[in-house]
Amino acid sequence: MQAVTPTTTVKSVTSRVRIARLSAVAVLAAAVAGCAQDAPQDTWDPAGPNAQKIHSLDNVVYAIAGVVGVIVFAVLSVAFWKFRDRGQPIPEQSHGKPALEIVLTIIPAMILIGVAIPSVSTLMALNKTDDTECIINVTGQQWWWEVDYPVQEGCGGIDEPIVTSGQMVIEAGTKVLVRGTSRDVIHSWWIPRLNGKRDMVPGRVHTVRLEADEPGIYAGQCTEFCGLSHANMRMEVVAMEPDDFAAWKANQVEAYVAPEEGTLAAEGESTFVAQCSRCHQVDGLTDNDGELVIARPDQNVWSGAAPNLTNLMTRNTFAGASWDLLSNECRADVWEADSADVGAAYLEGVSESCLNEVELREWLRNAPAKKPMYTDPESLEETNGLPRGMPYLALSEDQIDQLIAYLLERK
Amino acid sequence: MAIIERPTESPATEAPAPSASTSYGYLRRPVETKGWRSWAFTVDHKKIGIMYGAVALFFFIIGGLEAGLIRLQLAGPDGTILSADKYNQMFTMHATTMVFLFVMPMAAAFANYFIPLQIGARDVAFPRLNALSLWTFVFGGIFINTSWILGGGADGGWFMYAPNSSVPFSPSNGIDFWTLGLLITGIASLVGAINLIVTVLNMRAPGMTMMKMPIFTWMGFVTQMLLLFAMPVITVALFLLMFQRSFGATFFSVEAGADPLLWQHLFWIFGHPEVYIIVLPAFGIVSEVLPVFSKKPLFGYPFVVFSGAAIGFVGFGVWAHHMFASGLGPVSVAVFSVATMAIAVPTGVKIINWTLTMWGGKLKFTTAMLFAVGLIVEFTIGGLSGVTHAIAPSDTQQTDTYYIVAHFHYVIFGGGVVGLFSGMYYWWPKIFGKMLSETLGKWNFWLMMIGMNLTFGPMHIIGLQGQPRRMYVWTEYRAGEGFFNLGFWNLVATIGTFVLAIGVFFFLINIWVTHRPGSKTPPAPADPWDARSLEWITSSPPKEYNFARTPVVSDLDEFFHRKYEDVGEGDQHEYVQHMTGEEVIQNEEDNADLNIHLPAPSYWPMVLAFSLPVLAYGVIYSTLLILAGAAIATMAMFGWALEPADAPQSDYDPTDDGGETSKELANV
Amino acid sequence: MSDSVITETAPDAEDVVDARPDEHAGDDHGHDDHGGHHSSLGLSNIKLAMWLFLGSECLLFGGLISTYMLYRNRHSANLGPDQLWDIPFTSASSFVLLTSSLTMVLAVSAANRKDIRATKIFLGVTSLLGGLFVAGQIYEFTTFYREGLGFTTSLFSSSFFTLTGFHGVHVSIGIIMLVATIGMLQKDKISGDKAEAVEMVGLYWHFVDIVWIVIFTLVYLIPA
Ligand code: HEA
Ligand code: HEA
Ligand code: HEC
Ligand code: CUA
Ligand SMILES: [Cu+2]
Repeated sequence: MQAVTPTTTVKSVTSRVRIARLSAVAVLAAAVAGCAQDAPQDTWDPAGPNAQKIHSLDNVVYAIAGVVGVIVFAVLSVAFWKFRDRGQPIPEQSHGKPALEIVLTIIPAMILIGVAIPSVSTLMALNKTDDTECIINVTGQQWWWEVDYPVQEGCGGIDEPIVTSGQMVIEAGTKVLVRGTSRDVIHSWWIPRLNGKRDMVPGRVHTVRLEADEPGIYAGQCTEFCGLSHANMRMEVVAMEPDDFAAWKANQVEAYVAPEEGTLAAEGESTFVAQCSRCHQVDGLTDNDGELVIARPDQNVWSGAAPNLTNLMTRNTFAGASWDLLSNECRADVWEADSADVGAAYLEGVSESCLNEVELREWLRNAPAKKPMYTDPESLEETNGLPRGMPYLALSEDQIDQLIAYLLERK
Repeated sequence: MAIIERPTESPATEAPAPSASTSYGYLRRPVETKGWRSWAFTVDHKKIGIMYGAVALFFFIIGGLEAGLIRLQLAGPDGTILSADKYNQMFTMHATTMVFLFVMPMAAAFANYFIPLQIGARDVAFPRLNALSLWTFVFGGIFINTSWILGGGADGGWFMYAPNSSVPFSPSNGIDFWTLGLLITGIASLVGAINLIVTVLNMRAPGMTMMKMPIFTWMGFVTQMLLLFAMPVITVALFLLMFQRSFGATFFSVEAGADPLLWQHLFWIFGHPEVYIIVLPAFGIVSEVLPVFSKKPLFGYPFVVFSGAAIGFVGFGVWAHHMFASGLGPVSVAVFSVATMAIAVPTGVKIINWTLTMWGGKLKFTTAMLFAVGLIVEFTIGGLSGVTHAIAPSDTQQTDTYYIVAHFHYVIFGGGVVGLFSGMYYWWPKIFGKMLSETLGKWNFWLMMIGMNLTFGPMHIIGLQGQPRRMYVWTEYRAGEGFFNLGFWNLVATIGTFVLAIGVFFFLINIWVTHRPGSKTPPAPADPWDARSLEWITSSPPKEYNFARTPVVSDLDEFFHRKYEDVGEGDQHEYVQHMTGEEVIQNEEDNADLNIHLPAPSYWPMVLAFSLPVLAYGVIYSTLLILAGAAIATMAMFGWALEPADAPQSDYDPTDDGGETSKELANV
Repeated sequence: MSDSVITETAPDAEDVVDARPDEHAGDDHGHDDHGGHHSSLGLSNIKLAMWLFLGSECLLFGGLISTYMLYRNRHSANLGPDQLWDIPFTSASSFVLLTSSLTMVLAVSAANRKDIRATKIFLGVTSLLGGLFVAGQIYEFTTFYREGLGFTTSLFSSSFFTLTGFHGVHVSIGIIMLVATIGMLQKDKISGDKAEAVEMVGLYWHFVDIVWIVIFTLVYLIPA
């Protein structure tokens, strides 16, 4: 037998193979153990029964994957070590052992059948819709979510529809059924700590269950690529105690109170009517003639919708939940509050001293500069001249001052 | 009679030259054997293979630069290297380039070069169609990339979901370039598939039954079958999209009552088989490499063959696992979920057989072998995360996060690309007659392995921590703290990319060092690895006619069995080498065939291919160009049809030494 | 080149069944009718290729038909299949196309008999019938158009025109192939097996016919 092959430094190479393999295992193990507490969208930190069901299934699945991986790598490492070329004779030219093959084919098949059963039953449980206690509609559009509460007996009773955006307020411990659709392209609704995601497709209504065990703020993100500002299309679910939720509902339907004559806010009101109300609805707002002002976003925005600003300052974030309405200090008061206090802190809303004025001003000064949107008047040919998003409005700093004063009263 | 590569010893026995050879079509056939023309108009499957590979490598670098920009943008929160618009174009084009312009053509390069050699054929069944495939791919690839300078690349993501791909949502021409470009490269794939399937079915050397075919050829064959049936589906989707964007149809307009899920179904019916189109050639390569460097036949050859076929088959029935969150309804989701799990079984068969091939072997860790082993390790990681996606409820947490990005880069890069690199090192001496440096090769391997795990390993964490994919920025607020925080791991992934890029760079250096003018690298031995299959029973690089004599096959691993003899008794085996590889080859040369006819080069494939981008620019910009493209295409097709398959004898006579051919009419 | 060489190097090649092949490397033109072609399947390359191509085409039409079936009901109230279809007319043109399959069969058998004249005649008749079918389709399209059904009128119209248009283009390409074959027979330009060339066109033509039967049944006959 003569060696026809150029010899290589077998020894050092094999040890390096092992290091690579070990580090690969380590990475996998790290992923398997990945349940750090802090990222708000951590998928392994369920905060409600739906996400919990998935997580329980995950535990099994990831464990099996991990074990299979470890076995494969262990066998491989033994093979590398044991059968490396040390001048042994040419091995038997055997073409395999069918019996062994069949056994080794059946084992994975059995494992997979074992996994398939619980996964199908979890799937069915997660798709139940007949036991929910509260219906909330969400509608995606480039690049924010509208959230509305239809009149119903659920949710502790809703007599007047509530429309808001970016943040969905729910009662902790209530089984919520989210019904979603879209006004333009496909978006995907995802609150990782409460449930998996569901695409919201134009022309169709899809449902997803949500339930939070404890009051708290649960972060989410649109997860279907929906164009330019897909990255800036976020959302939050705010879960609160029943009393707080009732207070929130009541506040949302309170009648409009016009700003006092002569204040900055009153000037803001007229600026708003002039500049903003063609897109943004403020319920109860009247113009100089006392006529109700009805926004016509369907004629002014390509998706046909713009956020309802009636109660803007009861929310914490704006523009697809991408920026805070609260300044950093005040933000911490809400986001880092104990579970029991979250509701109350949230209900405080945004006060003048807490307003994140810098970013709201930037937004009003030039929204598309803050958040990429297709609003350049020169390239709106394909959308009949309608912007996709909030356009640049060339407001003066004075107008912005007035508008901020006005908006601060929207709570 | 055309190219006569060696003098006829007994001309009298030759049949008279066919009368058709006096017919010229429009132009005489090109006859150059040197210079750029000998490449541009060649129909030699080996030259075509090399060009496929070179162009694919070029696109790999383009796709890699795009990946580099993506990672730089994401290295920290609120990245500012790319605008949102450019970022969206970047990942769309990155994926398109890598999938359609790198991995698929690179696999086609290997298939082109080695399938005929592995089955003992002199060329593919349709050499001119082969050239057509090459040039359609090249022109299609260039066409797609010209979008960068003509208003920006496609920005809808590589699966281009409707309705986001409609004009109001993507007014630039990027998606038009993408659609038309993929239609063009689709022609390349379809034509190539037909060609290679016929080659495999019909042109095997005597004695080579299907179950004696080298495993790379088998996997290539399954891949081409997948292409044959998957390409038409995406073709339909692309046509619908083109009609939507360019001619006002409303296939995906919800206002008109369209169902946006139609696109998803059409895309993924193609898209899932596509991922196996990416990985099966690599599986074929490592199934060649592992036995050679284990000195054992592939364990369970029939199982590997049938599992490959099963993967191909089942692969057509699992597409909706990309749509678990699309709202299909729980019953369909359950069915597709279980079907997807089923595909892990045949894939597992492969992993198990590779492992058992090494078990009990005599392992030599050359660079090619290291890459093969690297594939097993990395692909298993990716495959196992794939199984976690198959669990539909789990997938609703994973889909569209970086956990998916981790999965598919482990299978695509760790499986597909690593396998292709294994093939490069293994077959380089065969193709170019020189060995790549093993030292540089090991640097290449280790940097690529470390780089890929640093790049894609952390993406498991990033994804499970909830970072969605396709986001041009991520924000500090959602990054978390502690060991699993997104900031750290995004940075690691970016650093990993550069390690990976340096690894790839070593490959380029290796090529340069080996082939630079004045390089001292000696010619490679004829059988450097003590190989086992047919492609090695000929000189390296092979002559134009591949084999001095059409080999006659009696064994799987024919070459091994010609070199070694089992002198053991009963259950005892002892192998003695009774011939070296050189001697086997010499033996073939000594008994060389007479009168080898090869197809002559042709202009028409390139001309026909060229008409396609002209047509496509026409669809985007002007009807005049459509007419021009159609005119070129018509001319090319008629020229092609009228052209005799061989050049007339006078054009291409042998010279006295029997080696080089004369070039007296070379400039027609 | 002799058996002795084979047995020298491969002593135990019992299953070497094939005869020594002709040395022609891939040859997409079938130009030499001297010497048998080596083919492992016993089916010529070009025929196999045509079968594969048609297999692929099945999925192309499958996709188009599925699209049509999904969208067939999505149209305005007065411009749907019920208002537009003229079943007797389309049946007639379908019959014309089916007849062309018959003449195609006759052309192939004539080619096999090496009766070039009859081959040309039958090919000519086939292409005329094909042309009649395409003319009928153009007439049908213009009628629909005049009744208000444009390509972009509704999802139904887009998918209908796309499906039948794709089929029409296939028929037209078939006609070009038929005419080109006649011309090449006339000028004696077919360098390979003439009968095979005709058969090849025939395979394609029959396929296009069969696709039409499916389309006719699904699109016209089964009520929406
Ligand atoms: C080379 C390409 C390739 C390959 C081979 C695979 C292989 C597999 N893929 Fe992957 N996949 C992609 C490329 C690939 N994939 C791409 C590109 C995407 C994303 C597209 C996009 O969205 O952009 C994707 C996305 C994707 C999804 C959708 C995720 C989502 O978007 O939500 C799913 C879901 O089921 C999936 C599953 C699988 C499975 C089960 C396999 C299996 O074939 C894997 C089988 C292998 C093993 C399991 C390992 C070895 C086996 C054993 C050691 C035996 C024992 C094992 C067990 C008992 C479990 N893949
Ligand atoms: C064959 C397929 C393939 C390959 C090989 C790769 C290779 C790589 N991919 Fe790719 N990728 C995809 C297919 C592929 N990818 C697909 C299908 C998507 C989904 C797109 C979508 O969502 O639509 C995707 C998406 C994707 C993303 C997610 C983007 C997002 O969702 O926002 C990222 C992010 O890190 C990424 C990174 C990389 C990296 C770092 C590499 C590296 O492996 C690249 C390494 C190669 C090189 C670097 C080139 C050679 C190096 C040199 C010549 C040296 C000089 C270069 C530099 C200095 C940079 N890819
Ligand atoms: C042409 C339509 C249009 C006009 C006019 C317009 N906006 Fe907007 N506005 C939008 C759209 C669309 C959005 C959602 C953008 C996003 O988040 O992607 C928006 C978002 C906002 C938000 C964030 C709301 C939330 O709940 O997230 C505020 C605040 C806002 N606009 C204020 C104003 C003010 C004040 C004016 C007048 C000066 C104004 N807008 C004028 C279209 C408009
Ligand atoms: Cu909406 Cu992404
Ligand atoms: Cu898939």
